[in-house]
Amino acid sequence: MVAVLLFLGGLGAVSALLLGIAARVFYVKEDPLVVEIENALPGANCGGCGYAGCHACAEAIARGEAAANACVVGGFETTVQVAASMGVKVEAREPQIAATSCTYGTGEADLVYLYNGARDCQAAVALFGGGKLCPLGCIGLGSCVKACKFDALQIGPDRLPRFNPKKCVACGACVKACPKQIIQLTSSSDRLVREYTTAECTAPCMRGCPTGIDIPRYIAAIRDGRPQEALRIIKETCPLPLVCGRICPAPCELQCRRNLAGDEPVGINPLKRYVADYEMRTGRHINPYANAPSGRRVAVVGGGAEGLTAAYYLARLGHATTLLEARDKLGGILRHVIAPGRLPEGVLEHEIESILAMGVEARTGQLLGRDATIGSLIEREGCDAVLLATGGYDSRKLLLSESERVTPVPGLHLVVDFLGGVRAGRAPAVGRRVVIVGGESRSREAAELCRRAGAREVLIVVPGPAERMSPPLGDAAALEGVEVRAATIVTALFGAGDRLVGLRLETAGADGCPAVELREVDTILLASGRIPELVFRPVLTPERAAAAGGGAEAEVYPDFAVAPTWATAEVYRTLASLGAFGVFSSPEPGRTSDAGAVVRAILSGRRMVRGVHAQVMGRAIESIPDLAVEADEVLDVREVFGVSVEQRHEPGDPLREPGTEADWAATAELSGLGDEEARAEARRCLQCGLICYQKAM
Amino acid sequence: MDLILLAINAILVKNILLMQYLGNCPFLGTSKRMETALGMGMAVIFTLTLATTITWVVHRAVLVPFKLQYMQTIAFILVIAALVQFVEIFMKKTLPALYLSLGIFLPLITTNCAVFGAALLSVKNDYDFVHMVVFAMASATGFALALVLFAGLRERFRVAHIPGALQDTAIGLITAGLMSLAFLGFKGMT
Repeated sequence: MVAVLLFLGGLGAVSALLLGIAARVFYVKEDPLVVEIENALPGANCGGCGYAGCHACAEAIARGEAAANACVVGGFETTVQVAASMGVKVEAREPQIAATSCTYGTGEADLVYLYNGARDCQAAVALFGGGKLCPLGCIGLGSCVKACKFDALQIGPDRLPRFNPKKCVACGACVKACPKQIIQLTSSSDRLVREYTTAECTAPCMRGCPTGIDIPRYIAAIRDGRPQEALRIIKETCPLPLVCGRICPAPCELQCRRNLAGDEPVGINPLKRYVADYEMRTGRHINPYANAPSGRRVAVVGGGAEGLTAAYYLARLGHATTLLEARDKLGGILRHVIAPGRLPEGVLEHEIESILAMGVEARTGQLLGRDATIGSLIEREGCDAVLLATGGYDSRKLLLSESERVTPVPGLHLVVDFLGGVRAGRAPAVGRRVVIVGGESRSREAAELCRRAGAREVLIVVPGPAERMSPPLGDAAALEGVEVRAATIVTALFGAGDRLVGLRLETAGADGCPAVELREVDTILLASGRIPELVFRPVLTPERAAAAGGGAEAEVYPDFAVAPTWATAEVYRTLASLGAFGVFSSPEPGRTSDAGAVVRAILSGRRMVRGVHAQVMGRAIESIPDLAVEADEVLDVREVFGVSVEQRHEPGDPLREPGTEADWAATAELSGLGDEEARAEARRCLQCGLICYQKAM
Repeated sequence: MDLILLAINAILVKNILLMQYLGNCPFLGTSKRMETALGMGMAVIFTLTLATTITWVVHRAVLVPFKLQYMQTIAFILVIAALVQFVEIFMKKTLPALYLSLGIFLPLITTNCAVFGAALLSVKNDYDFVHMVVFAMASATGFALALVLFAGLRERFRVAHIPGALQDTAIGLITAGLMSLAFLGFKGMT
């Protein structure tokens, strides 16, 4: 008994002693910082950060290798905690969620073979790329579901993944697991400024719509009796449904696959008007989500369709947005040119109110160059970007003669205005150094007049090669003090206060390497008929860099006598990208866009927002590769089967209805679709995808 | 020759997992992924050999002289637990790389009946030191072999059609039973 007690007690004591000594001798000093960071991390070991688990991630953060927001799943709170441990400041990262665009499961989609192998997408794709005919079709075997550590997705009864946005933490595991690469992570900003790419499933009508409304989805919402939902879907990419529902030429309807069945297209536009009218009848403004305030301030100049669109999306992206309009009311061409019979004033008012309700501050009667300037907006009001959406040549007529004399950008004039001014005897002072952009035949005349007006040096830059230059322009080079440079584009403008300081030129070199020149300039004359959409940004002067703190490097321009305080946003369209023309052309910052229809103006407004958003968030403005366009024949669908021909429901004519003569005079327009008509029309939609469409059972 | 036979016997014929049903806990728990199974297998080979050696010494040097053999069970458990703990501390300091790859499996082994079983068997069979070491290593290798084979099968399960009622552990146990039957085929070798 005693022996047993002694033995067990002794064994225990010896073990305890050994372990105690070992714990001291072999003590491993762990960095308390790593422990602290690891405690703040979620501990899911999902590997979404790119490190092998949370411990490795914590070590990387402590070493300074990874940023405080390296953890993709922890959310803002985790980042704040980690950043507090590291002693750095943080900015909220926008939450993302995963989604696919495939809407037809293996039960409905066209198949090339029936797959009955291992329940794994990788295995299925190894066999001729999967069973579906569509290259973007979801295999539906749920490899993404198995990859998800957060239970955020499952395969639905239609054999398509269902993403639960509440549980999704955007770790990216499903994106990597999908062999078809059709799962994408998007943030709400991405969704607001996106355009369709060829990697997404898009219906022909969506590719036909310049502004890319998700047409099948909103029609499905109408069909199911959810007009509010439909309106939200439309406003994702088009802020003017009331206007578009009335005056859009509806290029989408030309693409409708019902045309292939020998039928009339679905009334896409009347349906859009139906939901927009529904909103107007409720008297409320149904505005979808907006991002949290970003702390950035943006000014949009021009209150037409493009400016309104840009202001709307900038406000939804969380930027404090101010809209400047020269006339006393917003609307531009929509108000002053479109006949009220097509677009009644009350309708336009409701639409504009909706946009302002999104948090846009409107200032009317403000002509840029007279009442406010780029310098005053950037320097005094602290704008992080100023966007010019002053419209095309036709819209300049709205301002009558004033706009010919007041230029929105100091020192920047149109050649037509300059020549007209000279003839009228009131040409603007051009200063000593002039740059004329564009090789119009009148550029030579303008150059001569500039010389006569006292300019010492005049430079004509032409984007095309020298051999394609027009003969009068070649002669211009012979003039004294005039230089003509071919294969040259303007890639930036610089200004200080209310004057133009200089510009940056890029000239194609013989070796393919462009020569960049910073040049001081007093006046720029544009040969094109309008001032394109330009985005201006504050220059990070040494004072501003010092005030901002942090490691931002100040911009210094020794080439200029006057230090610039503002400049145009950096454009990606330089000589290096084919067929690009610098600041003075592009649908993104700085391209003359074709605004032949309101829907095109909306598109260019949204494209500008993409650039402005990137600019104010400190990212580079980039092009979208593989944009899907109307002309894309992604997969040739030339015939449709199993589609019954049905009559299209046209909007009613109030004159034909009894006792509505007074109403007709009051509304002065056709009535829209009624609830029942709209639902019946919505049922005609084939809910197309890239190649799938709804066949009659 | 004698030792080789002993080793083959311990690895295949009397496989500690499939023929003696010891250590089924980690067999089902750590066999979902090949990587984990390999890590666990290595950790078991390392710990089992060490633990059997130490317990064998404790038995010969302490229990037998003091006629305390009836305390075997409790003494072995105590020794194994302390040993695993010690190994963990020791590895963390001196072999951090090994610790990172095996570390998380060590606490699992503390209460593993395969380790305890091998220790008891080597005493029961009255092996000398060399036979004891070979027996321990072979038993552990058998464990690792069965675990890795099983993990391979279970990885395939993830993409197989399995009826709802049989998913997960149920199909795992059935497969373990079938593997066990297959290993019965080695019986004739002795």
